[in-house]
Amino acid sequence: MMESNKTTRNKLSKKDITKLGLLSLFNQSGMNYQRMQADGWTLAMIPSLKKIYGEDKNGLIDALKANLQFINTNNYAAPLLMGLGASLEENNENRSTIDSLRVALFGPIAGIGDAITWFTILPIVAGITASFAQQGSILGPLVFFIVYFAMFLARIPIAHLGYSAGTHAISKIHENSAIVAHAASVLGCTVIGGLIATYVQIDVVTKIHVTASHTISIQKQFFDNIFPNILPLGYTFFLYWLLKKKNVNPVTLIVLTFLLSILLSWMGIL
Amino acid sequence: MTVTLVQGISIALFALIAGIDFWLEGFYIFRPMIVCTVTGFLLGDLRLGIIAGGLTELAFAGLTPVGGTQPPNPIMAGIMTVVIAHTTGHSPATAIGLSLPFSILMQYIILFFYSIFSVFTKKADEFIAKGEFRKFGMIVLMPTVIVAFAYAIFSFLSVYGAQSLMRTLVNSMPGWLSHGFTIAGGILPAVGFGLLLKSMLKTKYVPYLLLGFTAACFIKFGNLMPVAIIGASLAWIEYGRKQRENKINKQFKDIEKSLQNSGGEDDGI
Repeated sequence: MMESNKTTRNKLSKKDITKLGLLSLFNQSGMNYQRMQADGWTLAMIPSLKKIYGEDKNGLIDALKANLQFINTNNYAAPLLMGLGASLEENNENRSTIDSLRVALFGPIAGIGDAITWFTILPIVAGITASFAQQGSILGPLVFFIVYFAMFLARIPIAHLGYSAGTHAISKIHENSAIVAHAASVLGCTVIGGLIATYVQIDVVTKIHVTASHTISIQKQFFDNIFPNILPLGYTFFLYWLLKKKNVNPVTLIVLTFLLSILLSWMGIL
Repeated sequence: MTVTLVQGISIALFALIAGIDFWLEGFYIFRPMIVCTVTGFLLGDLRLGIIAGGLTELAFAGLTPVGGTQPPNPIMAGIMTVVIAHTTGHSPATAIGLSLPFSILMQYIILFFYSIFSVFTKKADEFIAKGEFRKFGMIVLMPTVIVAFAYAIFSFLSVYGAQSLMRTLVNSMPGWLSHGFTIAGGILPAVGFGLLLKSMLKTKYVPYLLLGFTAACFIKFGNLMPVAIIGASLAWIEYGRKQRENKINKQFKDIEKSLQNSGGEDDGI
């Protein structure tokens, strides 16, 4: 019985890893609350594992069963973990080593993946392309599409990285993830500050009539003189406070924003 | 203006494709920037679609499906913003508010799917155990197919089926109400940015937020590139600083360790 464990496994070619990177697209195809991405993850792994195990059908089934466990990670981090998984299977590592590595890594790697893709790249790309789009320029959607098409293609080198880097490098990435996440947060927060100033629009239209011919605009002569865009910043922080400290549901905040806007519009303030 | 049957069907077909893309998070054509542009193109008003795209994209910047959560649906928000603006003649900023009920309804449909799709897992396990990989593949792709059709049907009903009702409703709105919706459309990005900050902002990052804010207030430039460059530079500086800090800490610990070790040996002798 120990013998069967020691049979040498087939090697994957570069093309196989490229294919694995592309197949990582299906990571979320079977998404459900029970085990999140597990089914789609396994579907993407099948061709690689099939090649690695070759004639050893029982070994293949055991490996696939092991892959069908709860996993929920960032979609651009998935090819990294898939590549790593493939290299471990290929090297005939212990079943439990492979599985525990996957389970230990998917969370932290998802954290850094989300920090980079959703919280840094998206606000930057959205902020820059929206400024084109709001002038009606096709450059907005075009640049947006090109960036995300390139992001899709990046799955291929990410899978190769996971495969060739091996456990040592992945644990290095894991170690460095705190630093990378920190740097991404610095960039993200700077850009979000800029986004608040540029895209949240609150203009008070109320004017105070001092004399019949002289009026003071609250927006121009009061708020804009304190600091431009002070109201957008204040309101964003108010929402942040509700979300963070009071755990208010985002949908509630959307509704609140609408009710406030309609009320203030009715009163003639905004 | 009205939406013709052909336009309704072509928007539904696009919703089907974008729906698959959102489910898989593949090419990001599910983001409002692309959805609005394509919808505008299909309705014969590309410019309206692009402008609505910029606006809706920002309103949804923080509403992300991170960690398996579901935000209000960006596809339905994008489609309906353009459709409502096109059919009623209101500005995209007003329309974005009116599109939200559709977006939130679709969000709940997807959440419902997340729950019920768990029923497929048992069958999937059986197929793997029997080594029937083709059948396994089919059952894993089943949720994607169901979701795709849900998008097509829901968007067709919203775009084509409900249009006269929608138009009557919107046109009977008093001025202060539609103005309220326009204002809300302008403030809405704050919700998205608030959400982004919820997951990112720590006290130590507040200075960076203020730097970015101030830079954007006073640098008059067409887009956010200068702020992004400032942010990237700050990130670069911080990355280097943290690495040096880690290195020094590690060296310090090594020295401490070796001191302790040698101390121990001395005691032993």
